[in-house]
Amino acid sequence: MTESSSNSETSPHPETIAMPRPTAWPMVLAAGVGLLALGIPTNMIFSLVGLGIIITSLYGWFGQLLTEEAEVEEPLVAPELRAKPIKPSHKRVLAATPGQRLELPEKVHPYSAGIKGGLAGGAVMAVVASMYGLFSGRGFWYPINLLAAMILPDFADNTIAELAQFSLAALIIGVVIHLATSLMVGLFFGVLLPTLPSSPVFWGGVVGPLLWSAFIYAFMGVLNPVMSQYVSWPWFIASQFAFGIVMGLVVVRSEKISAQSLTPATNRESHDG
Amino acid sequence: MAIAESGQSSASSPLVTQLHGWVTTVDHKRIGIMYILMSFFFMVVGGIEALLIRMQLWVPDNTLIGPDTFNQLFTMHGTTMIFFVVMPMLTGIANYLVPLMIGCRDVAFPRLNALGFWLSLFGGCILYTCYFTGDALYGLGSAPDVGWFAYAPLTSPAYARGGAVDYWILGTSVSGVGALTFAVNLVATILTMRAPGMKLNQVPLFVWMMLIDAWLILVAFPPLTAAQIMLILDRYAGAHFFDPQSGGSALLWQHLFWFFGHPEVYIMVLPAFGIISEIIPVFSRKVIFGYASMAAATAAIGLISLGVWAHHMFTVGLDDRLDAYFSAASFLIAIPTGIKVFNWTATLYGGRLQMRTPMLFALGFLSMFLIGGLTGIMLATVPVDWQVSDSYFLVAHFHYVLFGGSLFALMGGCYYWFPKATGKMLSEKLGLWHFWLLFIGFNLLFGPMHISGILGMPRRVYTYQAGQGWEFWNQVSTVGAFIMGFGILFFFINIAVSLRSGKKAGDDPWDAWTLEWATSSPPPSYNFEQILAVRSRRPLWDLKHPEDPDWKYE
Ligand code: HEM
Ligand SMILES: [Cu+2]
Repeated sequence: MTESSSNSETSPHPETIAMPRPTAWPMVLAAGVGLLALGIPTNMIFSLVGLGIIITSLYGWFGQLLTEEAEVEEPLVAPELRAKPIKPSHKRVLAATPGQRLELPEKVHPYSAGIKGGLAGGAVMAVVASMYGLFSGRGFWYPINLLAAMILPDFADNTIAELAQFSLAALIIGVVIHLATSLMVGLFFGVLLPTLPSSPVFWGGVVGPLLWSAFIYAFMGVLNPVMSQYVSWPWFIASQFAFGIVMGLVVVRSEKISAQSLTPATNRESHDG
Repeated sequence: MAIAESGQSSASSPLVTQLHGWVTTVDHKRIGIMYILMSFFFMVVGGIEALLIRMQLWVPDNTLIGPDTFNQLFTMHGTTMIFFVVMPMLTGIANYLVPLMIGCRDVAFPRLNALGFWLSLFGGCILYTCYFTGDALYGLGSAPDVGWFAYAPLTSPAYARGGAVDYWILGTSVSGVGALTFAVNLVATILTMRAPGMKLNQVPLFVWMMLIDAWLILVAFPPLTAAQIMLILDRYAGAHFFDPQSGGSALLWQHLFWFFGHPEVYIMVLPAFGIISEIIPVFSRKVIFGYASMAAATAAIGLISLGVWAHHMFTVGLDDRLDAYFSAASFLIAIPTGIKVFNWTATLYGGRLQMRTPMLFALGFLSMFLIGGLTGIMLATVPVDWQVSDSYFLVAHFHYVLFGGSLFALMGGCYYWFPKATGKMLSEKLGLWHFWLLFIGFNLLFGPMHISGILGMPRRVYTYQAGQGWEFWNQVSTVGAFIMGFGILFFFINIAVSLRSGKKAGDDPWDAWTLEWATSSPPPSYNFEQILAVRSRRPLWDLKHPEDPDWKYE
């Protein structure tokens, strides 16, 4: 297709246009339905009248549809009231960018880097958390039970001793929460990184964990009351840093690709030609 | 009358003719405007109810309004705002815009469309006749006092004597049927009537989101209607669906209601997503970031929202495993929602932002919806919900999403498309007053509710005792409510003033890119003299920039 044929008008200029004829039947029908309903709490008479109106209006409505009455020929409005033709714009299209379709940033990390980073960070974090469980003498299962307490309400009344026991439900739920959060944070980080100034490891390893820890610290009381009661904050923050640094390193080491290639190529080329 | 008068010429005809024109109209644009006017009317009514509620809570042990009236007020307020303010406003905006945006002359079923409007309006009238029946006429009592979700067995004949609950059931179900006709019509219109060349993946995002919205309506409203019919049978035919003493189940009502109720909250917020997905690119002078992921995320939200209803029922005492499932499913919604927020932010990033009123409302939406979404995730956490369910924290959550989110964006939409519908611009100055009063009032009103809620103030209490630390927060809230009321006053003043003496808008005042700006303002009844062929997502950009059209890149 040539450029001039794009956006061409498909219909010739008519004098009148066929449009549906205005009709009161829909309003009357709705009034009938309303009366039918009102009869229930008030008086059956209303319902009967409503039913009558419904039947009449359906008859009128369909009757109109079946004849040429259904449409009217509308004349075009006066030429001065019509839309002005759309003129080429003289405004400068942002230079140095492909139109204004520039995707910022131009180069990004592939999604897979975010996923790998999230997984790696999550794994290291799990190790740190387990070490805490072992060293604090509260047991290997303690951290994961705390995490699962976010969803498992009956953990709320458990004592520290109970929280040290193995629980299959807690293991599954804890792992799911941990995996999902790690993946989400990893992806988020991977996508965000190229838009941030200065060193990525700084953002991932320092700023991220600080912000995240502060946020969790502030909201833990409501988010996961059990955890806020029993968690050891130094270890918690240490595990955040472990996660952030590892994830940051993994993401940074991935090769950047052009942002364009994140969208499927077929989609971009189909209109060219 | 062989030839109908067109929209323009009727402006000068006598009032009766004009009224007759509106009553009989099947023009989707006029129907859209009527929906919006209906919404404005009920916004005033529901707003007055809200102010009365806030006045009663101004000081402890207030006796301004008695407990019974208070129950009626919050029931009517919630019902009105959801069914007769937000729903008609979104329906109206969609009705007006979708055919214009997809470049066609009309909707698929114009008469059905009119029926939908009248059903909605009469539904509202039925609800409010409760105030006129009173004890005198037919001995029916007055307004319903069962909350907007009308939990059984409060609605059983034993507890709800008189007709008040009937007006609730009948009003909301009649308007619900109206919503269904709207949805059927919208789906058919979008699927079958797009301009030549416009593929489904080229329609404006607003159209995408309305398409999914309409599907949600089609899935969510029928169960509500069914539940309402069952309730009427309970009340009038001696059935016992919701009566535990006779083998019925009060929980059944909650399941049916929330199977409708949760998707309903997304039905109310998706149009807002759609509106700001139109506003943000135009006022950032950039293409929307991630069109496809926006549409996909909307579809995902629609699907997920159908499977999380029982997060409104954590305190009922369901099985722990069920709670865990519904909690996890609710968390999932954060992912597609996050994608959207990310895309909007990415569109803003590096854009040449133009801070006109529609853009302000879009940014207001973004910030407040974010807060509402975060508290939503907190509420989806079972132990948290057990703590704050049915407290003012919950009230804060859903007002941040529904008012700060949904209604803010809808008002922003009014600013954005008012010039198209009327040919006049709304005043920027009054718009700024409107926005800032609303924004400040809103945060004063609902922000403190997070705190009073955490401090233990239950929702729906008509008064409270002094010395629990709630007085201050309630007073801030009440002050905020009045500031917000003033803000809305400015909205109506702005509309009145601008209709009278607003600046002429022209066809395309915002230098936008979608098809509705290709016709005159206001558009003729047939929308376009010629139907344009479309080759990209921004047909007007292509026309304005023939040297650098979009279809080369898409
Ligand atoms: C991340 C998304 C969201 C989550 C996880 C979420 C979660 C919840 C939960 C768990 C409740 C029930 C609280 C309780 O009854 O104790 C709730 C209530 C509510 N939510 Fe959300 N929500 C989210 C977004 C929204 C949105 C987008 C809207 C509306 C546009 C909304 C409107 C409401 C309303 C109206 C209620 C109160 C219903 C009532 O009890 O009257 N929420 N939300
Ligand atoms: Cu919900």
